[in-house]
Amino acid sequence: MRIGIPHCGHGYLIAEALVQKLGNGKSELIIPPPTSHRTLDLGVKYSPVEACLPFKLTLGNLIEACELGADTLIHARGTGVCRLGYYVKGQEQIIRDLGYDAHFLTLDVSQHRFRSIMRLMKDLTNGAPPPQIISALYFAMGKLFALDKMEQVVHKVRAVELEKGMANQVYREAVKAIGQAKTVREVKNATREYNKKLDQVPKDPAADPVKVSIVGEVFVVLDPFANMDIEMELGKLGVEVERTMSLSRWVKYRLFLNYLGVNEWKEVHKAAMPYLKRNVGGDGWESVGEKVVHAREGYDGVVHLAPFTCMPEIVAQNIMPSTKEDIPVLTVLYDEQMARLGMITKLEAFVDLLKFRRKRKRSGNLSWR
Amino acid sequence: MFKVGIPRALSYYQYLPAWKAFFGALGAETVVSPPTNKAIFTAGNSRAVAETCLPVKLFFGHVLSLANKCDYMFIPAMRSLGKKAYYCSKFIGLPDMTRALVPECPPILDPEIDLNKGRRALYRAIYDLGCHFSSDKSRIKKATEQAEKVHSAYRKEMSAREITPIQAFGERHRGEDKLYLEPDISPSLSVAVIGHQYVIYDDYINHRLISRLQAMGGRVFTPEMAEQEALDIAMMKLGGAPHWSFEADIVGAGEYYLEAELDGIISVAVFGCGPDSMMIDMVRRRAREFRTPFLHLSLDEHTSEGGLVTRLEAFLDMVKRRKRVCV
Repeated sequence: MRIGIPHCGHGYLIAEALVQKLGNGKSELIIPPPTSHRTLDLGVKYSPVEACLPFKLTLGNLIEACELGADTLIHARGTGVCRLGYYVKGQEQIIRDLGYDAHFLTLDVSQHRFRSIMRLMKDLTNGAPPPQIISALYFAMGKLFALDKMEQVVHKVRAVELEKGMANQVYREAVKAIGQAKTVREVKNATREYNKKLDQVPKDPAADPVKVSIVGEVFVVLDPFANMDIEMELGKLGVEVERTMSLSRWVKYRLFLNYLGVNEWKEVHKAAMPYLKRNVGGDGWESVGEKVVHAREGYDGVVHLAPFTCMPEIVAQNIMPSTKEDIPVLTVLYDEQMARLGMITKLEAFVDLLKFRRKRKRSGNLSWR
Repeated sequence: MFKVGIPRALSYYQYLPAWKAFFGALGAETVVSPPTNKAIFTAGNSRAVAETCLPVKLFFGHVLSLANKCDYMFIPAMRSLGKKAYYCSKFIGLPDMTRALVPECPPILDPEIDLNKGRRALYRAIYDLGCHFSSDKSRIKKATEQAEKVHSAYRKEMSAREITPIQAFGERHRGEDKLYLEPDISPSLSVAVIGHQYVIYDDYINHRLISRLQAMGGRVFTPEMAEQEALDIAMMKLGGAPHWSFEADIVGAGEYYLEAELDGIISVAVFGCGPDSMMIDMVRRRAREFRTPFLHLSLDEHTSEGGLVTRLEAFLDMVKRRKRVCV
């Protein structure tokens, strides 16, 4: 069995770690090359024209995995109202039409999540004992948590570093080192080492960066190729980025803690209630709620990311400007036509607006209009 | 007497008779917004963000045109009308979007229709809705039953007489005006028009597609002219259990009319429709297998009448020629 997976941020590290710990020689993991313009071109070429960007990108990944000989493909499936519910059906058909003989294993992300992940594990490991699965999961999750935690620090350092690009370099090395770690101890050591390096990056003590939170559709928020490194670009402009959503958080709650009755979005949903009363699928509800919460927490602005024509996020986009908690929202929509420079210009204008607004607020002139 | 406003958009075409019966039995009057016109179109466009799809933008326009003509606005949040079959997110967020974008809207009645939670939850939502008008439990129950009866009669009437919802309502959209197109008396072609009801029956955004086809000598079939059961069967055959109920009917109709060996299929979608972008592809594939001509029209607020007519003429010419050659 040769297993292919689509990319989403550094999610491939989990799969890699799991296979490394549980591999029994029968199954081999094929990680497609990092998402590139070729991936996008492939995806665009074979997808329905108006499909959303995550569909096209993951399809491109899967085709590239098939080219490398994958015969089993793993993909997420939702049962909500969003298009994710149709991904597997659509992509299976397209890949079969292309002449690849591959079948899909699905990971349910909205219902029966635990059952589906356990079934997936069983399929992949040919019945390894549960304790072994759990220890492998622990190891894989350790990597993910270490990286996500470090990313949060990087977001802060980027905004205030004296020489732009230092934090990025450290982070890139850290991803490599943590990815290559073979044991839990090695992960911990690498994390400590690179955190120290981040501390040592020279920072501007007088810097007072504006604070922006990133919300929106999970795939474009998490995948740096899909969102054109928006966090890095914001960092270059001297903006401190905060993002609640992360892969580790998603896995932790969605796959495990939700079953114990923990709802990580409880506060956010409560905040969204006056404006959006119900779940509209995808991450629309959370986007509205997060805007309200962040406005209360004193952020300077919100950057809202979504794939072009994303249904839940359009609902959120329509509602967000009218909330009583008033902070500027910039919605950035991604599709295959999007140009990086266009995005940067938008961000520059937005950041200027935030700085201006902050100055006015501090000078006591609170009224904005 | 309370006046309940019903915007002439989105689910209006599917459920108007049932809603009318329900509110009527509870002693409320229903007010329907006028057919889409330029004012409604512009108003709707100016309220919503640009990426919103055209029918939803129009919906806000219709709400605006009703804003000071009624005491309540009826905007159900449609989540699901069958096991594991959903509506698009925008239907679920419709009441909240309206609240955000049309602040001058009267109080909104927004029952959540979710059959996934079971019939009990549905009746509960309907009961809560009825409580706005009557405190008499049995009266609400009777109104619900009546609405159900009217709805199934309406659905049956359309398939039995092969008529469109507009004909079933007994009204003409742009009736006796100078734009009226005389249908060909002896149509030589049979064409299926598949698409959302709020697109294929809204003459303003589709530039009178159906009457145009009829005038060009086509006999037009729409999804509503087939029986619901037949559509469900066709859908199951094509793609298994549907994910979206609205689109399941459209794709089911595509398959049904392909099997009925019509001369051509025209699918009409609006730009940016999420479910359609994934589902219409299935019909396109099937049409290729059947070797039936297939035309996909994507409409948006910039669609020009001239361009549309040219495409229709070209398509019908092609269908006609094919038919001559084949026979």
